[in-house]
Amino acid sequence: MYETFDHLNTVDFDARARKILSQEPLLSAQEVEVTFSLRGNKLTAIRRTSLDLYEGETLAIVGESGSGKSVFTKCFVGMLDKNGSITNGSIMYQGEDLAQFTEKDWLRIRGKKIAMVTQDPMTSLNPLKTIGFQIQESVELHQGLKGREAKKEVLRILEAVGIPDQERRYRQYPHEFSGGMRQRVVIAIAVACRPQILICDEPTTALDVTIQAQILDLIRRLQKEQNMTIIYITHDLGVVANVADRVAVMYGGQIIEIGMANDVFFDPRHPYTWALLSALPQLGVKGEKLPAIDGTPPNLFNKIQGDAFAPRNRKALNIDFQEEPPMYEVTATHMVKSWLQDPRAPKIDQPKAIERLSETAVNAGTDPNAYHPHLDPSRETLIEVKNLQVTFGSGRKKFVAVDDVNFEIYKGETFALVGESGSGKTTIGRAIVRINPITSGEVLYKGERVSGKISKEMDTKVIRSMQMIFQDPMASLNERAKVDYIVSEGLINYHLYKDEHDRQDKVQKALQEVGLLPEFSSRFPHEFSGGQRQRIGIARSLIMEPQFIVADEPISALDVSIRAQVLNLLNDLKKSRGLTYLFIAHDLSVVRFISDRIAVIHKGRIVELAEAEELFAHPLHPYTKALLSAVPNPNPYIERNKKLLVYDPTQHDYTTDKPVWTEILAGHFVYGNQRELDGYRKEISPN
Amino acid sequence: MSKKERRKTVQEMEEPVVNLKVDYGKVDTEPKKERPKGREYPISRSRMPESQLFEFAEYHAQDAEKIGYSNYSYWKSVWANFLKKKPAVIMSVVFILLFIFTFVASAIGKYDIYMAPDPLNRMYITPNAEYWFGTNAIGQDYWAQVWYATRASILLAVSVSVAQIALGVVIGLVWGYVRKLDRFFTELYNLIDNVPTIIYMTLIALMVGKTMVTMGVAMVAFGWLATARNVRNLVFMYRDREYNLASRCLGTGLGRILFRNIFPYLVSVIILRLALAIPGTIAYETTLTYLGLMDIMVPSLGNLLSAARAVFPRAAYTLWFPAIIVSIITITFYLVGNAFSDACDPRNHV
Repeated sequence: MYETFDHLNTVDFDARARKILSQEPLLSAQEVEVTFSLRGNKLTAIRRTSLDLYEGETLAIVGESGSGKSVFTKCFVGMLDKNGSITNGSIMYQGEDLAQFTEKDWLRIRGKKIAMVTQDPMTSLNPLKTIGFQIQESVELHQGLKGREAKKEVLRILEAVGIPDQERRYRQYPHEFSGGMRQRVVIAIAVACRPQILICDEPTTALDVTIQAQILDLIRRLQKEQNMTIIYITHDLGVVANVADRVAVMYGGQIIEIGMANDVFFDPRHPYTWALLSALPQLGVKGEKLPAIDGTPPNLFNKIQGDAFAPRNRKALNIDFQEEPPMYEVTATHMVKSWLQDPRAPKIDQPKAIERLSETAVNAGTDPNAYHPHLDPSRETLIEVKNLQVTFGSGRKKFVAVDDVNFEIYKGETFALVGESGSGKTTIGRAIVRINPITSGEVLYKGERVSGKISKEMDTKVIRSMQMIFQDPMASLNERAKVDYIVSEGLINYHLYKDEHDRQDKVQKALQEVGLLPEFSSRFPHEFSGGQRQRIGIARSLIMEPQFIVADEPISALDVSIRAQVLNLLNDLKKSRGLTYLFIAHDLSVVRFISDRIAVIHKGRIVELAEAEELFAHPLHPYTKALLSAVPNPNPYIERNKKLLVYDPTQHDYTTDKPVWTEILAGHFVYGNQRELDGYRKEISPN
Repeated sequence: MSKKERRKTVQEMEEPVVNLKVDYGKVDTEPKKERPKGREYPISRSRMPESQLFEFAEYHAQDAEKIGYSNYSYWKSVWANFLKKKPAVIMSVVFILLFIFTFVASAIGKYDIYMAPDPLNRMYITPNAEYWFGTNAIGQDYWAQVWYATRASILLAVSVSVAQIALGVVIGLVWGYVRKLDRFFTELYNLIDNVPTIIYMTLIALMVGKTMVTMGVAMVAFGWLATARNVRNLVFMYRDREYNLASRCLGTGLGRILFRNIFPYLVSVIILRLALAIPGTIAYETTLTYLGLMDIMVPSLGNLLSAARAVFPRAAYTLWFPAIIVSIITITFYLVGNAFSDACDPRNHV
């Protein structure tokens, strides 16, 4: 029934460190500086940073957007944008300096010796050419094979990257492949000519967790077979824990900490690394605030003086604002660029959350005194969804996005809807706030029907009490309107203010409530960072004084350091305003931290619904189990030993025994037929 | 206290300048490898006593929240980029001067447009000190004729273009945004567009009249089609963006969604279309005159060109004057339109 992947067993990081110390670097970038010219300004994206890469290792580069991680590695393949150039330093590889290369020189190296896999498999494949043609092109160009021989090689590569039925797949076009399969193809093209170094730039960011785990597995296997050196660029610390031998943390265009994975995870030294790790929801205590990092990452338009992280660091030293720290060596393989390492600096203890990381039981647990609205006997049902069905298209093209969905949300709780892309979770959220029309079933708000045709007064009431927060802070604000208009849009619609002065007052209050400065109201959205924009979006919905908010993946497009801010804000607002949330997400670790109850959705159907800790402790449905098994864990030892379960929908036999939505334990619902339910009952109580 | 002030207090202190030197040996716990050059950072310039340098600095949450984005403004960049296109700027100035001159010219001219005291003796007098641009077939002063025609044509072209683009934009926005009306407008578009416009124009000219106003209205009535279709297709790009969903969630009405959320994104395209519509209208008017669908009693550039063509090799000057003016207008708007569309492309804002 389940297919399991066995990962590499416990990694001996010390042995790897010794091996690295005994080697000459394969690629050595020294004092690299990259400058871009933009609208007459010179922007320094990489500020004189150095990196040695050793043969056979997997190096992960972690950083937020704008930290320069992509730009830095693009220098190794000569793929900088045309307004950027390497203005200082050298990149030595096989006795040649890549920093001095011309486009002609690159043809010898790029793709052949150093290859790259990018984030979005759809944009890196040509939609008009067959998959076979595209891989064969690379094989013919780099390996010099022709015709039938080349094709044979392509089929062999397809097999190697785990694509079944290669003959048929060879003739197919990219749109006939799923996201994960497409990424396999991109990897196939990259490894077709057996490069020495493979740079993976966020290769799994656009993929679902279960697919992500498979792709990581594939890259690891290929690395072993072909003895490749891999640079992994990511913002996801779970992915880092899974793949990396060595980790480099980048901030403000520089590597600020680099070391073996166990050093960086369990003994980090830079305040930024501390902050980054402690802001992980996995390490947070439910009901308490996450230790968030204030502010936003530095941007290149500002000149950086001293330590780039200093303005956001609560315990910055005076010298951090004045002088750039040197690289201190903690051990021969662990280096930190922070004044805290100086003998004259005061000693600061590592944050508590990092200690929790080394404990085996991650997710430090919950506040025992936390209030759970669904357990309250006098609970009030705020939202009721009954037999909800949403279909798109009609006739032969009809597609059922959401089918027979039932749930209730109680006042004051955070109800999470978790599923992979295309599962219909966003559709449910949008159906509730009436952006998407529903096909059948109904939605009740405080016992009154709000779906379908309703009276005008009811319509106004519903708009004022149900609001939505959107996923992409870049797309969800009108770029051509000032923050003032964006935030007060709802006020204007229903004329909820006495006079102009009152309106401005309300806007400023809303901005302050989400932690933004009141003077931001006269600015345009493009001047803000992602986290700030997301908070503007939250202010926009708060101004209507809603009771219920649908939060559609509100943090998935944000930088790691910003996520905690937004999660804390949502939790604070829940307390201060008594809000109720429908929290839509794909990331189970976030959901576990923030929500009271979790519903797992697969292909438009809710397959399991339970209280958050109960779901993690006793998952019943095989899909839930698969999803939980794939959740990345920031502890490298646990992450590398996890057993991955793969869910196969064909394992259900629903031909005669029809499945039903059953409450198998108080508050724990599962979808299954009688035979499966019996099995689940046995699982809960074996005797 | 802001960061600036903090730094000031630091510098006010009169302490000896210290040279910080990092002692790597104290930090390293294992024997180090040969350190490559360049990793030593020059450390100096600090004007704080060493003891103080390693104390905790005050924390200011506002500094962390500061927005440091460039003061980039889309429209400012568009304007700055437009100004870089010298030919377009020069031609714009020439055009504006030309338009102002049409008023001056009528005032300083010796004759008005109709006066022809002795038609038989004054036919086709070549330009001289008395008749600066010569005379036409019925002895009227060509100077007055040309400048009057220029003014009339520009006014017609501008008003027709503005009206048809405005109508096209409004219809296009509704057509693109309201799904229910898509079918209706598409069929309407097909219905009108499948018959050549020239047939409509002929019918209107014959049945309603050939005056400039009638024909101007007729041009607008059929001119909006292309713009509307173009705008509709563009609206599709923005219609389902999340910020529009957010507006719908907030109960924003259709009108405000269209004009606050979508219209601003289309302005650059609309201005480009407008710039190209102006010479287009003048050319159209010329065509209509040639086909005899315009009133020839009131001078327009179309009329003059049409009349001059008939006598071309003999009274060549009657062709040159209006032709030069039409060329100036066409070239100006062609250059301005292109320069503007380039300037609007954010990729050129480097």
